[in-house]
Amino acid sequence: MKLIKSLLFVSTFLVVNTFLFSQEEELNPIDTLGIAVNKIQSELYILKKLKISGYTQVQYQIADTAGISSYAGGNFPTAVDNRFDVRRGRLKLTYESGLTQSVIQFDITQRGASFKDVFVKVAEPWIGFITLTGGIFSRPISFENEYSSSVRETPERSRIVQLILPGERDLGAKLSFQAPKSSKWNILKLEGGLFNGTGLAGTNDFDSFKDFIGNIGINKTTKNEKTNYGLRFSYYNGGIKQGNKFVYKTIDEIAPGVKSWIVDSSTSNLNGKARREYFAGDFQLNWDLPIGFSVLRAEYLTGYQTGSAASSTSPNTGTAPTGDTYIRPFNGGYIMLAQNILQSKHQLVIKYDWYDPNTEVSKDEIGKPGSKLTATDIKYSTIGIGWNYRVNTNIKFSLYYDLVTNETSQNLAAYSTDLKDNVWTIRMQYKF
Amino acid sequence: MNKLNFSILFIVLTIASAFTFQTPSSLKIKGSDTVLPLSQKEAEIYMKKNPSSKITVIGGGSGVGIAAFLDGTTDIAMSSRKIKISEKIKLQEAGKAYKEVIIANDALTVIVNPNNKVNQLTREQIEAIYIGKIKNWKEVGGDDEKIITYSRESSSGTFEFFKEHVMNNKNYANTVLMMPATGTIVQSVSQTKGAIGYIGLAYLEKNIKAISVSYDKGKTYVQPTVENAKSKKYPIVRPLYYYYLTKDQKLVKPFIDYVLSLEGQKTVSQVGYITL
Repeated sequence: MKLIKSLLFVSTFLVVNTFLFSQEEELNPIDTLGIAVNKIQSELYILKKLKISGYTQVQYQIADTAGISSYAGGNFPTAVDNRFDVRRGRLKLTYESGLTQSVIQFDITQRGASFKDVFVKVAEPWIGFITLTGGIFSRPISFENEYSSSVRETPERSRIVQLILPGERDLGAKLSFQAPKSSKWNILKLEGGLFNGTGLAGTNDFDSFKDFIGNIGINKTTKNEKTNYGLRFSYYNGGIKQGNKFVYKTIDEIAPGVKSWIVDSSTSNLNGKARREYFAGDFQLNWDLPIGFSVLRAEYLTGYQTGSAASSTSPNTGTAPTGDTYIRPFNGGYIMLAQNILQSKHQLVIKYDWYDPNTEVSKDEIGKPGSKLTATDIKYSTIGIGWNYRVNTNIKFSLYYDLVTNETSQNLAAYSTDLKDNVWTIRMQYKF
Repeated sequence: MNKLNFSILFIVLTIASAFTFQTPSSLKIKGSDTVLPLSQKEAEIYMKKNPSSKITVIGGGSGVGIAAFLDGTTDIAMSSRKIKISEKIKLQEAGKAYKEVIIANDALTVIVNPNNKVNQLTREQIEAIYIGKIKNWKEVGGDDEKIITYSRESSSGTFEFFKEHVMNNKNYANTVLMMPATGTIVQSVSQTKGAIGYIGLAYLEKNIKAISVSYDKGKTYVQPTVENAKSKKYPIVRPLYYYYLTKDQKLVKPFIDYVLSLEGQKTVSQVGYITL
């Protein structure tokens, strides 16, 4: 039996080999090359579906004073007025197959590793007009919120964007409507979605209120391909669970010249819905001028923001608030001009941004005894001046100065004068 | 290894590396299918005159060429449309300064099968055919035959130029067949009686028929020829571009200067395009 098996094995081996060799003999070099090219093509086709990209930003910063609160890359630790920092270390994996896309993005810095984007995008197959996105992704409000830090002309987003839309992302789903590129209606885009409202760091929702975000915008390029402009209006309507029955939403004059928060302490306030409503408009102009490419951007946000006595920042946590609720009318925005020097690698930037967390009060009205108006209600504005040097596709150097000015109040000792909180940033970026 | 041996080895390696890197200049050109036959011919003659030079020319469409240019995988991008503002922004972001050169002009040609008795169409009729309003040749004076429309893909500069200048920016009908290359349009139209397509003038062959076009609602019809394009009688004329990075000037300039020279422009005429 063993012998028969061995014979069978040897004869099969010989037959197969003869067949294979006779096949090989028939192939001429062009056929062999064709087979190899086909094999490479099919492997490339699979590989091309996966895209790996990312960027690393390393920076050195000098602050006017040690331990300042800052929106130029985060607060400085006590007793520290200069620091090295890996501001962002992003690694993005994008897998695209036909009308579907899946994205996972990580942020790896000395502070640890965290995820930034985890979403799935599916386009309808008929005319490619509607796209559904679900997961953790940028909220569809504010141009600067959605614009990548790797290409932004300034090191950080404006103070208002950082405060109102912390972490830029939220967990939810949105529908996008845009005609195909071949259509004249492609210039128009409409988006609408529902989100948890707890921000990127909110591992789970802490209330049952879902936040609606919608926008409508146009983006058009002139026929001579010299000018491109975009204009968009966005609306945010959401709510945050009230942690207790004390809700501050009205400011009134309690005595001559003394404005104060008026507390509403109805028992029905507990677990009620606090107002979170924003109206936003953004405008972008890209202009190919003989002196170099010009980029002009402006944004304005206004509405009602729910926060606490100590902060007007939106939630970026999975923990429900337990303290008193403050609902402030706010506004803010920015205007930025980036001018490229001819066709060189150099770009100059100037930006002005402001954030008024409470438009009902100003200056000395803040901090008066019994008013409950605190440093949280102080308005800030920042003038930023910078220079970008793009060495090549991968490397960019930036030098930027944030000149921060705060509203002053003689009734708040810490804010009787402008704080010394200006910051220099020297940054090196590698993008791949 | 003693000091002398090390020195000899160093000298040998230096000489060897010098020879290794002194390879003949290699130039990559990629992009527009319209510009492709012209670039191929120019490169062929240029390489004969300069045996040490090596030029590779690949088609794929203007969009493909400019994308390769942005990625740094081609030295010259051929394009039958102007570079877009979004592409300029990407170049600016990458700190890349570029130059644009017009190397020739092309008369965009509407073609049909030689067995089709229609010889002329107005711009409005062509538009109506491509948006799907006119579906049968009998509606424009031809036989009772279904119209089969061929177009280039959206990555093609010709696709965009045709849409903008002939179709008044209207949308292509869903029934239009999008072809990956100009050659496939020529082939398909030559084999299909009811077919219509559009190509660069240089692609015109005996097995397809060029249509005379009217841009004054049928008062005058003009045949797409080099002469008519030069005299500006033919209305659908567009420039053909080369794009290159300023830093690559040393590498690409000799070839571009040749294309722009009298001899290079003679080739432009021979291939079937319009000289500058």
